[in-house]
Amino acid sequence: MTRRDFIHKWTVYALGLLPVWLLDAYILPRVPLFGTVVPMLLPLAAAAVAVLEGAYAGTGFGMAVGLLWELAYPGGFGGQVFYLALAGMAMGAVSQYALSQSFLGCLICSVGVLGLLDCLRVARMLFINAADLSDLLQVAVPEFLWSLAWTPLVWLLFRAIYNRVGGTKLA
Amino acid sequence: MKDFLRQNGILLLVIAFLLSVLIGVLSFVMGGKADPLSNLVNTVTAPVRSGIAAAADWVEGAYGYVFHYGEMEQELKDLRARVGELEEEVRQGEEASRENEQLRELLKFQTRRRELTTEPVKVTARSTSNWESTLTLSKGSDHGIEAGDCVITETGVLVGVVDKTGVNWSTVSTIINTDTEMGGIVTRTFSAGVLEGDFSLMNQGKLKLNYLPEGAQLVSGDEVLTSGRGDMFPSGLPVGHVEGVFTDPSGQTRYAVVIPSVKLDSLIEVFVIKDFEITE
Repeated sequence: MTRRDFIHKWTVYALGLLPVWLLDAYILPRVPLFGTVVPMLLPLAAAAVAVLEGAYAGTGFGMAVGLLWELAYPGGFGGQVFYLALAGMAMGAVSQYALSQSFLGCLICSVGVLGLLDCLRVARMLFINAADLSDLLQVAVPEFLWSLAWTPLVWLLFRAIYNRVGGTKLA
Repeated sequence: MKDFLRQNGILLLVIAFLLSVLIGVLSFVMGGKADPLSNLVNTVTAPVRSGIAAAADWVEGAYGYVFHYGEMEQELKDLRARVGELEEEVRQGEEASRENEQLRELLKFQTRRRELTTEPVKVTARSTSNWESTLTLSKGSDHGIEAGDCVITETGVLVGVVDKTGVNWSTVSTIINTDTEMGGIVTRTFSAGVLEGDFSLMNQGKLKLNYLPEGAQLVSGDEVLTSGRGDMFPSGLPVGHVEGVFTDPSGQTRYAVVIPSVKLDSLIEVFVIKDFEITE
């Protein structure tokens, strides 16, 4: 794959991330579905690309998504960049060696990345004594489930991109 | 394992770790100002945010007009009746004000003054996380907005406090957010407490008035204002109404649950108080 093909491929992936980001940051927070729960779509995008492209690309895309999350959203403290890069590497490796490049593989990886993220948030809130476990779970569980419900849409989007420019198709 | 990591982006992972540390350190060091990277990203994306906000506000308005026309008509009727009542109250208030001025002059008290320097701003984004309650505004440090400035509605109701500022944007921590902490006072009893965000109440759109005095006799519906203690925030800004009074699990202190007067999910334009001078 030439340098030009490489840039073309990742520009298309970045363009694919654009509607996901706009939906996640600006549109869904205004739509009061299921009470006031807002889904997290960015980890799903990282999971989909990691499953389709493997560990190396998954790490890079995870890092880019983490950067977007940290810089364009309020309240960032840096941790998401490393978390999503690490998660991208792990999901890419798991899909390469244990799962398949399928929707089921993406769904399992999404469960993992969202579940761990919410577990870390709950643990942090418990550590700083911000709320009881039951109160935290009342937020974490609907967030996890409502985010997971968006996996098919995100998967279809990135699968379509992969079918056009993914892997070594441009080589 | 070493080969696996080398083939699978260990270098990228190290870069990600360093970026994480850099962002963490910068956001800690910069305090109320956005770090250069966030500032750049949010400044570049500000027009997109404003465009989407304008379109979404238009759609919400059109949806309300089409599907809630009856409710809006009823609300208009109620508001007209309320305006009539308020006009009568204003007439009585003017009389009381005049009397108050005369008494102040007689007792050589300083004239009560309240001057707020405000900046009108658009709300361009709402909370993107279920773990905090924030708003993003369309103006920032280039309009003199600073972290710690209070944000109010057109009727003067408290919305929150500016948390971070960039060049042409700023984020607001709303009054129900968990990091809220400011003095509050109940107008009927003059009971002072500390307005605090609470995680479980935040998801119900409410907040706490903590550390109430032992003898405070609050009832549901009592109005809560900012007390202005510490001179960090202006006094007398309406916050909300008491829903109920409870004793905390330790049994040591009592707190009131406050329902904010502001509807955080339907804000379009707000005002940032850049400066204030209040003489009581």
